[in-house]
Amino acid sequence: MKWATRAGIHIDRAACAWLIRRFVDTDAEFVFVADPAEVPADTTPFDMRGAELGHHHGDCSFETILRRYDLTTDAALKRIAAIIHEADLDDERFDAPEAPGLDVVLRGLSMIGDDEHTMTVTKPVFDGLYEYYRRATLLGREPA
Amino acid sequence: MTDHEQPPTALPDRPGQWVLLSYRLPREPSTPRITVWRKLKRLGVAQISDGLIALPADARTREQLDWIAEEVTDSGGTATVWIAHPAALAEERKLAQAMADARAAEYEQVRAQAQQARHQPDDERQRTLRRLRAELRRINRRDYFPPPQRRTAETAVAALQPANTGTTPAPEENSA
Repeated sequence: MKWATRAGIHIDRAACAWLIRRFVDTDAEFVFVADPAEVPADTTPFDMRGAELGHHHGDCSFETILRRYDLTTDAALKRIAAIIHEADLDDERFDAPEAPGLDVVLRGLSMIGDDEHTMTVTKPVFDGLYEYYRRATLLGREPA
Repeated sequence: MTDHEQPPTALPDRPGQWVLLSYRLPREPSTPRITVWRKLKRLGVAQISDGLIALPADARTREQLDWIAEEVTDSGGTATVWIAHPAALAEERKLAQAMADARAAEYEQVRAQAQQARHQPDDERQRTLRRLRAELRRINRRDYFPPPQRRTAETAVAALQPANTGTTPAPEENSA
């Protein structure tokens, strides 16, 4: 499947792209557009105004995708969602001290490379975060 | 967060880019109106008139206003997002000054609270320090034209650090 989002990706879009490729569509192809009008007809838009997979009811797009694809029972993904929410919206709905740090890392990345570069670098970062919170859930405490 | 201390008067010679949100929400129910207003306040927007607010345009502010526009339409209202230049430099200066003044008042409150906490017992002062650091961070995020009160507030909060953890303010003091 093809997926489209706005160019110049930051925390929410980078995390959504990772989530889609790992849990929704392993063959996902991504298109980055400057304006919603440029979204090709055969693609699913996300994290864009007017898209189903966007911010809704105070949730960020990552949370919307979790709900839409029935992934909310995965505790590790829920924890990552809380971090993405705080990094993106910073509204203190969740206690996520990781958020400001991750946000700065993503902002810095967007300054030194294009969207492909950001996705390449963030993939193992999100894989690692997922593994960390997966183990934390199993152990019931912070893993070593 | 950042360390640049540009007073509002150091604006460039030509008006810069601003992102405007023009929105209308039904009077009832009042909850979405209040939610939207709280979010705008948190972003530190300049209110131009009823239902028209502005922020200096960058990737983050554009996106934030886009999502608030989405929330307005989700709640049955109408919203459009615009990129604009003030026609005259004086207009921009007024807008920037109003925003800097609003932040200055917030920093001043933090400074006054830090001042009051100076003689609190250690554990109480530590709690105040943590709370005021978080408050400073919230204000910094909506501070687009840092006023001199910012540095004063940061210094006052840093002074709450217990003496035995180092005589000079730790580097994290400035970034908190």
